[in-house]
Amino acid sequence: MRVSSGMIFDAGIASINRQTASLLKVQQQIASGRRILTPSDDPVAAARALEVTQASDIVAQFKENQNYAVSALGIEEVQLGAATDVIGRVHELAVQSTNSTLTDSARAGIATELRARFDELLGIANSGDGTGNYLFAGFMSSTTPFAGTVDGILAGSDVVYQGDDGQRKLQVSPTRVIEVSDAGSDLFRRIASGNGYFATDYAAGNSGTGVINSGAVSNPAAWNASASQQVAINFTVTGGVTSYDLVDTVSGNSLLTGAAAPAAPGAQRVFQAGQPIVLSAQGAEAPFDLGASVTITGATADGDSFTLAPGGSQSVFTTVARLIGALEAPAGTPAAKAQLASEVGFAVTNLSHAANRISETRSLVGSRMNELDSLGSLNEDLDLQYQQTLSTLQDVDYAKAVSDLTRKQFELEAAQQSFFKISQLSLFNFL
Amino acid sequence: MGISSIGFSGLNAAQAGLLTTGHNISNASTPGYHRQEIVQSANGSLFTGAGFIGQGTHVQTVKRVYDEFLGRQVLNAEAGATEMETYRAQISQIDNLLADPSAGLSPALSAFFKGLQDVAANPASVAGRQSMLSAAEALVARFQGLDQRFSEIREGTNQQISAQIGQINVFSTQLADINQRIIMAQASGTNQQPNDLLDQRDTMLRDLNKLVRVSTVTQSDGSFNVFIGQGQPLVVGTRSSSLQAVAAADDPQRKTVAIVGAGGTAQLLSESQINGGSLGGLLSFRNESLDAAQNALGRIAVTLAQNFNDQHRLGQDLTGAMGQDLFTVADPIVRVNSGNGGSGTPAIGIDAATVSELTGSDYRLSFVGGNYQLIRLADNQTRTFASLPQTVDGITIDAATWLPAADDSILIQPTRAGAREIGLALSDVRQIAAAAPIRSTASLANTGTGKVTAGTVDAPPPPNPDLQHRVTISFTSATSFDVFDVTTSTTLASGVAYASGSDIAYNGWTVRISGNPASGDAFSVEANANGVADNRNIVLLGGLQTRNTIGAEAGSAPTATYQGAYAQIVSAVGSKTNEVEAIGAAQQGLVDHAAQALESLAGVNLDEEAAKLLRYQQAYQASAKVLEIATRIFDEILALGR
Repeated sequence: MRVSSGMIFDAGIASINRQTASLLKVQQQIASGRRILTPSDDPVAAARALEVTQASDIVAQFKENQNYAVSALGIEEVQLGAATDVIGRVHELAVQSTNSTLTDSARAGIATELRARFDELLGIANSGDGTGNYLFAGFMSSTTPFAGTVDGILAGSDVVYQGDDGQRKLQVSPTRVIEVSDAGSDLFRRIASGNGYFATDYAAGNSGTGVINSGAVSNPAAWNASASQQVAINFTVTGGVTSYDLVDTVSGNSLLTGAAAPAAPGAQRVFQAGQPIVLSAQGAEAPFDLGASVTITGATADGDSFTLAPGGSQSVFTTVARLIGALEAPAGTPAAKAQLASEVGFAVTNLSHAANRISETRSLVGSRMNELDSLGSLNEDLDLQYQQTLSTLQDVDYAKAVSDLTRKQFELEAAQQSFFKISQLSLFNFL
Repeated sequence: MGISSIGFSGLNAAQAGLLTTGHNISNASTPGYHRQEIVQSANGSLFTGAGFIGQGTHVQTVKRVYDEFLGRQVLNAEAGATEMETYRAQISQIDNLLADPSAGLSPALSAFFKGLQDVAANPASVAGRQSMLSAAEALVARFQGLDQRFSEIREGTNQQISAQIGQINVFSTQLADINQRIIMAQASGTNQQPNDLLDQRDTMLRDLNKLVRVSTVTQSDGSFNVFIGQGQPLVVGTRSSSLQAVAAADDPQRKTVAIVGAGGTAQLLSESQINGGSLGGLLSFRNESLDAAQNALGRIAVTLAQNFNDQHRLGQDLTGAMGQDLFTVADPIVRVNSGNGGSGTPAIGIDAATVSELTGSDYRLSFVGGNYQLIRLADNQTRTFASLPQTVDGITIDAATWLPAADDSILIQPTRAGAREIGLALSDVRQIAAAAPIRSTASLANTGTGKVTAGTVDAPPPPNPDLQHRVTISFTSATSFDVFDVTTSTTLASGVAYASGSDIAYNGWTVRISGNPASGDAFSVEANANGVADNRNIVLLGGLQTRNTIGAEAGSAPTATYQGAYAQIVSAVGSKTNEVEAIGAAQQGLVDHAAQALESLAGVNLDEEAAKLLRYQQAYQASAKVLEIATRIFDEILALGR
């Protein structure tokens, strides 16, 4: 091929330019530590790196949310622990007050401590998270959740729950939204009264020493299916024999006969103190089945009455206040003593429901914190994985880059030297 | 003839050879120079009795070593290479813009969602809300900043188009002029080629061809005609037309090319007609890459703004009011063709319900034969409607305010302004709607175990006007309930069969009750007054980060998240840059090859010229010797007479 002088120069310069450009690129990669300097270097990896970056950012955000959740749940745990202690102490005092040797003034002393415990419990229910937000107010974190006093409750106005049922939740992993608060209404207010199905009570005018327990449901299906769930147990004492009638207080009929109460004395059951009163048809009685029984101990007087009705819920504050009220009332007569015993019995039952609710919630909080722990390590693994992927996608392989640099440098020098040599050749040198 | 005249002819020829060689040597590095050589031939011989006796030599012509075929190859390859080079230079601006991981959309997007999560973690905190609002401002600013850069690149492209056209006009005038000179030279030079003029003209043509691909037809008088595009004459003989950069009929911001004919009327050239050269590169860059990238960025902005507004309006802010728009959404750009005969403009809007179907394309709406014809410009998909309004690809088209004449057209750019005009509609941190506007409560007197969920507000906005009414759900038995609107004292439903965990939806909300409610139990749904710690709505807003919200085909699910859509832009620009670089390198290889072939044929080799120099020097010396001998012979003859 014929070669023009211009070609020697053009080709030489062009190849030196090319070599310099690729040398510069390797140098930039090494200097920046990035394999992809612009998206065009590797469009697929550049786009993928963006997506992985977002995934990694999200993991970082989840980590923050987890930290927040752990701290919020930690605060709640502490307060619930304190509430458990208070309720435990109230329970202890209630049991202590049943001691028959206590005088009125000794009981009043217990009541005084109970008043302090009441305030302590109210304080816990109204506690904040340190940033001015109430822990147990649901979504209404700027509203004091509970308002009320012992005397207010005793005068008939219950503690008011001013928050709502809201439960705050946080996203802590792509697929898990975790609860970071519990509403006070569930924790303190909505607590089953009685045995969970029904609550028992005594009539205020009872003159005997009968004490009713909170009863038990042995056949829940029968209880649920039962048409009458509000029953009065009315006692009659005739000729030294104590008998009782079971009356559906809604219809006014005797359950024993199915006819309007009261049932004829002969149709009534004979009372045996301390023996369970079975709330289902016995012998020739009219058919009824509540699937439950209650027990009344002590001697009941003529005209005494006890009731049972679906319990609904009763706040722990009401329970404590009622106990205080009972302890503060003088218990001089046997009947008053019996009423006190009933009240303490109800209080103990209701307090254990309240304690159960709190400890259930505590264990729920604990399991949430456990879950957060394991999510935390999962997130860390994920984060590491994303960082590795990002590094593979973006980062320069130094060993390769440095060897490339050396090779390209060598190539450039070779091109420069050969160009210099060739460009020296000319016939004119010999003319 | 005598020996001296023969010697003299040799002397002349050698001198011409020396002159031509010297010319070659001195022009060895002149761009566009083709080497010349003399064509020497023997003079006709003289018949004598002893046969034919030579009469010396003469130089026929000075020939330019050139191959038209190779020349065309060079032109062809160069038009392609400069087109790609210009394209590369333009698109690498976008490539570099997106290259910096800390400067693109991605970090602003991440920071914004982080702000949302901070509010979700602590909805009542004003500080958290402030940082979210600041992050939203930063996101808006980033959208606008990126768009600003796109607009600068667009403006730069417009300016370059004008500059290129100016240069093309200079070349076409000069070519017409040089044609004139060649015609004159050829006419006076008894058909001898004016080699250096031809070189000049070829060089000029090569430069012109780098600006825009041209084709030539040589005329018998030595001139040639130059055409661009599909045969639009730029130079005919000694006359030249000029090009003009004019605003496109349907988009005043778009410089396009028109040719001004002899009569002075400008005729628009279709952009598809102009290819090759840097002008072609600029036009295809604008059509293929710049428009697409800017539209795609705008699409993310419009979709994000619309999605956020939709969800935000279903929430409740810190003051207890329903959420307002969080962002302002850019309206589509509607450009009326300046040649339209009718009046008015159709109303084009973003359809909130199908915003995920937005494409990155522009559209042309024409009124053809009494029908409305909508062409999606990205893929030329055509849809014809007998009547409007219609909703297509996430935009609504309503022609109530448009009175088109036949064949009128308008250009619709649904997302072009999306990134430029996105704005933050809120300034008060309390207006961030983090909470849901309703809450549900189970009555404290309930005896059953039924539990009610917190409740959700039904999309899409606007929310039901009765949303925040207090509504009770009262169980009349364990298996059925009544629904009563306390606010208006109306029964919404009665005797509804209860199924645990199934949706109960009235007044625009949905709750679920599970468990075993007892007869007489009641649940209520009401306004979420003072629900300052409620983060239900902000959690839903935060969920948009990982939800596919963009790129749905009609009737199918969206395919990309915001970040995914941005990654698509990066990937598309990166791939295109990569492709252009690869094609550019291949074209450059072709140019090198073709130019080398031509250079190999026509370039000056100094060694060769040195040899020729020696050769013609020796020929000159020899011819001089012939003359000397002729003189000496003549002297011998004279000496005879002495």
